Amino acid sequence: MTAILTRFGIQTSHDTELIDITERAREIVRGSGVEKGLTTIMTLHTTTAITINEGLPDLEADILEFLQALAPSDGSYRHARFLHSDGQMAVNAPSHLRSAMLGMQVSLPIEDGELVLGQRQTIYFVELDGPLYREAIVHVLGG
Amino acid sequence: MTALIDIHTHPVQIAELYPDDGNLERAVKDVFGLSMEPQPIETYFAQLDEAGIDKAVLLPIDCTSAHGCRVVSNQQVAWLMERSSRLIGFASVDPNDSAAAETLGRDVREYGLKGLKLDPSLQRFDLGDRDKAFPVYAACVELGIPLLVHCGLSWAPRGLAGLANPLGLEEAIQEFPALRLILAHFGWPWVGEALMLALKHENVYLDTSILYSGQPTESLRHVLADVVGLDVLDQGLRGRVLFGSNYPRVDPKRVAHALRQLGLEPKLERRIFHDNAATLLNLEETQ
Repeated sequence: MTAILTRFGIQTSHDTELIDITERAREIVRGSGVEKGLTTIMTLHTTTAITINEGLPDLEADILEFLQALAPSDGSYRHARFLHSDGQMAVNAPSHLRSAMLGMQVSLPIEDGELVLGQRQTIYFVELDGPLYREAIVHVLGG
Repeated sequence: MTALIDIHTHPVQIAELYPDDGNLERAVKDVFGLSMEPQPIETYFAQLDEAGIDKAVLLPIDCTSAHGCRVVSNQQVAWLMERSSRLIGFASVDPNDSAAAETLGRDVREYGLKGLKLDPSLQRFDLGDRDKAFPVYAACVELGIPLLVHCGLSWAPRGLAGLANPLGLEEAIQEFPALRLILAHFGWPWVGEALMLALKHENVYLDTSILYSGQPTESLRHVLADVVGLDVLDQGLRGRVLFGSNYPRVDPKRVAHALRQLGLEPKLERRIFHDNAATLLNLEETQ
């Protein structure tokens, strides 16, 4: 069995945004040479997320507004203090909560060397506390 | 929408500065106290964009005699200024160095730096020291540049807040009436002292980088609305409060948002976000 881990960077541009990484994931899977198996796409941060949904601008806007409504920017949070281990104000509780709702990874099957996705499915890297330089991984398992 | 000027950013997280400066990592982590991974300069510009900031002041800190390092040097600030006209560099010199005033003049002229940053808590000097500090204040007047002084709470692990009480500047303010002096962080927790100095002396400015606990919406509202009073800002200080974020201690977008949430009278908000700093720094005609 082959196990290949590919790491890639994303420079995000906004506080909150959905970034389509579908083609990037497809290319990594194709490049792995794995014909049958499983891939995991995962973010390495706790204020970002990976999710799959229909790739329409109106839906993207709805998803972001929904997240903002569930964890409002001006809410009252315990995670609103100086974080001594970082040397920064930890005032991004809404970003963490939004990430918790979406999750950090998705797993998808590989068949005939290709990622299996429904016709309307788009893989998103979700920035929830940007802009920042971020990293994600694609882990391919199979043969 | 008003294009913001951020009077208070520390370029300590910009990755491009690190490869050529083997001492910077220790200075930033152990002395300044920031442990976050450096980010590309492109990220810094994106963060300014997201906050609506058009121009940002870069503040170095020369701690050579106190801690054997510079938390970003004047030369590095100059290098960053060459990357973008959005960046306005301030100098820093070490008042414990007898050549500080001379160094300031040289670096301001050579690098085109627009002001001076001093942090008595980290640099370990007395703000009222006539032998060490006053020659530096005199040099600022001679060069026609403003001086931004860290006041109040120092989050730096090696910082001594007791050296940063704004009252320590009172004699200097009297002796140098032409010195344009910015008291950073509104002097918190000595807000009353900083406010008193600014109300009394027309050459004293205050910046909004007020961070101690809670979301910036909470800390700015408490200090500016509850303690100082928005009416006081409008009456006595409308030309002398400056938007400052204290990046990267906090993301500038959050401080900008917090100020917008105060519900300031639009002209006053515009002055704080842009016009006051533009005038102070001789950047352009206020719009």
